Amino acid sequence: MSAAIIGVGQTGYRRSFPDKSSRELIWEAARLALEDANMDIDGIDMVISGVAPDALAGEASVERTAMLGFGKPFLRINTGGVTGSSAVFAGNTFVKAKRARAVLVVGLERMGQATSSQQVFNTIFDPVYEKDFPLTTITMAALRASMLMRLYGYNAMHWAQIASRSFRNAMKNPLAHIHKDISPEDVLNSPLLAWPIHRFEACPMSEGACAVVIAHKDMVGDRTPAWIQGAASITDSYAMGDRIHRPGATLVDLLSLQMAAQRAYKEAGVDRPREQIRAIELYSAFSSAEAMAYPALGLCAAQDGPRFVEAQFTDPSIPVFNPSGGPQGANPVSATAMVRIAEAALQVRDMAGARQVADVDRAVATGQGGATQFSTVCVLGKRQAA
Amino acid sequence: MVEDVYIEGAVLEISWADQKRSLTELIYSTVSKAVEDAGGSYDGIDSVVLAAHDLVDGRSLSSMVTAPAAGAYLRDEVRYSDDGAGAFAAAVARIEAGESERSIVAAWGRASEHDVEELSRALFDRIFLAPLGLEELHISALNAQKWRLNGGDCSQVEAAQAARGAAAKANPRALQQGGFRSTPAYPLTSDHLPLWADVVAAVVISKRPAGVKVKGLGLSSEPYWLGDRGIAKAPALQRASERALAEAQIGVDQIDLFEMDGMTLYDEAIALEAIGLAQPGEGMRFLAQDARCNPSGGSMAGYGVPAMGLARIVEATLQLRGTAGPVQQGKPRTALASGLSVTAAQTQTVVVLEAA
Repeated sequence: MSAAIIGVGQTGYRRSFPDKSSRELIWEAARLALEDANMDIDGIDMVISGVAPDALAGEASVERTAMLGFGKPFLRINTGGVTGSSAVFAGNTFVKAKRARAVLVVGLERMGQATSSQQVFNTIFDPVYEKDFPLTTITMAALRASMLMRLYGYNAMHWAQIASRSFRNAMKNPLAHIHKDISPEDVLNSPLLAWPIHRFEACPMSEGACAVVIAHKDMVGDRTPAWIQGAASITDSYAMGDRIHRPGATLVDLLSLQMAAQRAYKEAGVDRPREQIRAIELYSAFSSAEAMAYPALGLCAAQDGPRFVEAQFTDPSIPVFNPSGGPQGANPVSATAMVRIAEAALQVRDMAGARQVADVDRAVATGQGGATQFSTVCVLGKRQAA
Repeated sequence: MVEDVYIEGAVLEISWADQKRSLTELIYSTVSKAVEDAGGSYDGIDSVVLAAHDLVDGRSLSSMVTAPAAGAYLRDEVRYSDDGAGAFAAAVARIEAGESERSIVAAWGRASEHDVEELSRALFDRIFLAPLGLEELHISALNAQKWRLNGGDCSQVEAAQAARGAAAKANPRALQQGGFRSTPAYPLTSDHLPLWADVVAAVVISKRPAGVKVKGLGLSSEPYWLGDRGIAKAPALQRASERALAEAQIGVDQIDLFEMDGMTLYDEAIALEAIGLAQPGEGMRFLAQDARCNPSGGSMAGYGVPAMGLARIVEATLQLRGTAGPVQQGKPRTALASGLSVTAAQTQTVVVLEAA
């Protein structure tokens, strides 16, 4: 029961699209994905939409206005930061269940319409105990970054190197929101948002839409597929305090990503990820989030993380991280986890243009959301899983 | 044809402004009872599929706190911002795909803690429709008026309303105190409207043979713009029903019990016509005279989106198990349940169930 991504469409990402309605963005991404798949909407059996907090767009259930393929089954997913990957996984499910031969999955973000995204993100936290801190996604990430520094010896330069690498990768990606050659020194010289996080370590606020076409193996034909070899998602506890001293997996051990990776790898037949995966598209909204992912994905031990960062710039055997620029290059929140999968699919299909990594037989895309509690891992390959 | 998927446990709890329990406690209570109903063990539960909406829950990304309350701790979990019947269909597909062996499906809506009219107005296009002050119940009023103009049998309206009122009064799961109704738009009257309530529904499904088997699923959609809609025809429901019945290899005339999701009395009557049980214009007569139709009391028993599709599935399951209490309708062998979603029933899901 194999399924593959046979079409990818992206509008490109920017701070806002004042000239386009939400439905126009959805339709454009969908049209591009269908063209890439050499299909029209009649070949699609089901549509799945991913839109995260309605409050970011200021429009409720905006995906309904852009209904594609009247009469087709339609469902909407909202799992926060992993909305895009959850939607892809749902499409994969319906294909594997033989309830659809081909599913169109669309993710949309319109956060440019929000007066302040961090005010909206403040409302994801507990209204009684946390909202008045004021806890936001930035301060939440800062808490983890400082914990990583204390536990494993990361320093400011590690965070800066990770961010700079992503920005420089994004320069090769015409779809990215940010096209700036930002050096590690530039990162360190950018304003502090919340210690130790500098402005250039944080992802931007981006709008845009992403779409993929997922098809049953019998539909692939002479199209170029990115086979979905493994897909897994895990939800952890909300309460961060419960995770700080959790035996076996602290707050920065990212247990949910670790478990999701183990399941996806098993499904995909991956047992030596550092050797078997060539490109990794991480949903790392901050540099420190990327560092948490290394051990969770089985790429290094947690305490070896800082050295793993340094080795990326000298050891060509290490997988390439975020060749698209990752969330530093563009972060359309609802769609970001889908963009990771779309970009990984382009890598596997050798269709990534200037950002193409050589010899990508297998790529991994991750999703991360909530209070670092929702994790997804998707393994894509040139071939079907054994 | 659905792979072998069974409903092991099913619970529906409807309340109003319970000052002693938070939303997460309401969810935990219902999900725990569903697991208890399924044998009492979380063993083997590897998936949690939810239907809930941030704007209903009153908190952005509310599943951060609600998902763990629904049993999602270190489990595979996904939340659909869609109706509970759609989430149910997705959970069944997960089992069919081999991704899950045993899954919790839960849906809720707590009307006592949000402004249902304001939220409904937010669903309409900001430029072309919102300035009209439209709410979903206004679309229900359009459905009702169009149904009347199409020659619907208006002589049965009072009897149909009396029948579902009596059913809701007898239903031990219905809201008996509290709740409220919005202001009706012509030709609807207050009694025709949903009784806004706090609703939590939960089921446990798996491959393990249990009392109720899933026989067919169907989903469909309608365009967004009202001028493109099949007013008073519910074409999305019609297509979803055709798909579910075809999959179950059964005719609508062979179904013993119907739990149709409609916001108003008229919507429920139109739903019975859309699935082919009643001829056009005759749906109200079925509601009035045929005890197989919405024995739960329909939207009068308590209404909280987006839980109502799963609530209908729970009511149908209890009927098939013979445990529906005072509203039990003999010994039905087959049942059809539906769930609708925003905006104004733009998407529909139909589930056909069978006593195993």
